[in-house]
Amino acid sequence: MVGIKIEDLTVIFKNKVTAINHADLEIPKGIFGLLGENGAGKTTLMRVLTTVLSPASGTVTLDGIRYSEENYEKIQRKIGYLPQEIDLYPNLTVQECLEYMGDLSGISKRIYRERISYYLEKTSLSEHCKKKMKQLSGGMKRRVGLIQALLNEPEFLIVDEPTTGLDPEERIRIRNLLVDFSEGRTVLFSTHVVEDLAATCSQLAVMKKGKFLYSGNIGELLDQAKGHIWICKVKDETMARELEKKYLVSSKQYIGSELQIKLISEIPPQIECGSCEATLEDAYIYIMK
Amino acid sequence: MIYEIKIALPFYKIAYAVFFIVILSLVRGVTFSYEIGIALEAPMAILAASFCADTYTQEIVSRRSEIQRLYPMKKRIDSVYKRILIQEIFLLSAAAAGYEFFFLFQNPEIDKMGQGGLESEIGQFFIYFAAIAVTLGFWGILSNLFSCLFRNMWMGIGSCLMLWLITNSSIGDRCFGRWNLFSYTFRRIENSRDFSWIYGKMICICIGIIAAAILPKIIEKRG
Repeated sequence: MVGIKIEDLTVIFKNKVTAINHADLEIPKGIFGLLGENGAGKTTLMRVLTTVLSPASGTVTLDGIRYSEENYEKIQRKIGYLPQEIDLYPNLTVQECLEYMGDLSGISKRIYRERISYYLEKTSLSEHCKKKMKQLSGGMKRRVGLIQALLNEPEFLIVDEPTTGLDPEERIRIRNLLVDFSEGRTVLFSTHVVEDLAATCSQLAVMKKGKFLYSGNIGELLDQAKGHIWICKVKDETMARELEKKYLVSSKQYIGSELQIKLISEIPPQIECGSCEATLEDAYIYIMK
Repeated sequence: MIYEIKIALPFYKIAYAVFFIVILSLVRGVTFSYEIGIALEAPMAILAASFCADTYTQEIVSRRSEIQRLYPMKKRIDSVYKRILIQEIFLLSAAAAGYEFFFLFQNPEIDKMGQGGLESEIGQFFIYFAAIAVTLGFWGILSNLFSCLFRNMWMGIGSCLMLWLITNSSIGDRCFGRWNLFSYTFRRIENSRDFSWIYGKMICICIGIIAAAILPKIIEKRG
């Protein structure tokens, strides 16, 4: 079942820059990944979906409700949002900040207090709840930001780089939290960290210069790269540089005295090498080239 | 409400407001006590304009407005009004304290006319208090309105500064007379029974009410 449907969407900024260019996308229920280089239009897309920006043309529907001024209120009630950059109230403690935002979102005091305590526990922030927001590390602030997005238990959760600044253990916790939360809901998860999407999503879209290069199953994306990923070993850095000039290198790693290189090429490279399994990162690089 | 107080009155704002009033009461000379109101009104107006300019724009700068957009409009507006009220109460207390500081630091001549009633020091203070309450309310709401309109607190302060320069000048006094926004400052102090300056304050109240009424529409439209 489609949660969000985007048809022929175009967003043009005031300085005439086209941020999204005639894009089409269907975002089903469950957790959906959004991947793309810097400036690809991911954040712009999220800002359109959260009604912060209005598109120049095209249509967007959320749960069958068309995006238009008269429907914004209905749409806004269904959404939880964590922007890429957000500075929550520096003079309030974590608990106060979340209570304040819970109150503003119109939830009853009893319910938001229960949810705050639940999510603080889930994100390992319980012991920091009396710290002021300005005293928190970047990763902790991201976690508090995520909790505020979850507070009204939205049907549609839109999170822009939720794992930025988190240590590996915390990233896993947040990923799992998002997966748990996505049951029966739509979670749009934008990130640069390909690993995060590989671990959480089965569906994703890849953006480049305001367009979708790919949208669909992760398995199918991997299939597209299949047979185009090669692995070879070279003796020294000079040879590696030669290869880098000819092919797209997705990874380099010293193994003993040799340098193991992963190449992306449509045809077998003119060097002794073997084909290997494509990872999501390889597949991403393959379709981006 | 306690959270709104913490958000609307951070330490740095309290510190600069107090510092401003203390310095003003130290450097601005007054000879008679009835000059204190004149000495305070215009500077307090510009303090109110800069103090209240970021009431809502702090949400825009911090990108919290993108989240707030998803909240019920009524809750958002209530929170802005509460913040304005908190700031105005603080500024009013500071203005009252400033009046006392002038007595403390300048030691002005008191009760020059030697009459009771409105000429008495307490009467003068209450008249000052009423006038400054209107002034602070007006400039605070207006700067917040301009800030929201331009989504930039400096535009709010700048717009108010322009208006302040026009109205707090002899040209302003000549053009607007008793209808001037600073009619209390330009009143005839030799006649304490002259209350024609109230017209200027009525203008402040009317514009302030209109500004407060259109503020929700601007926040809704401009986010």
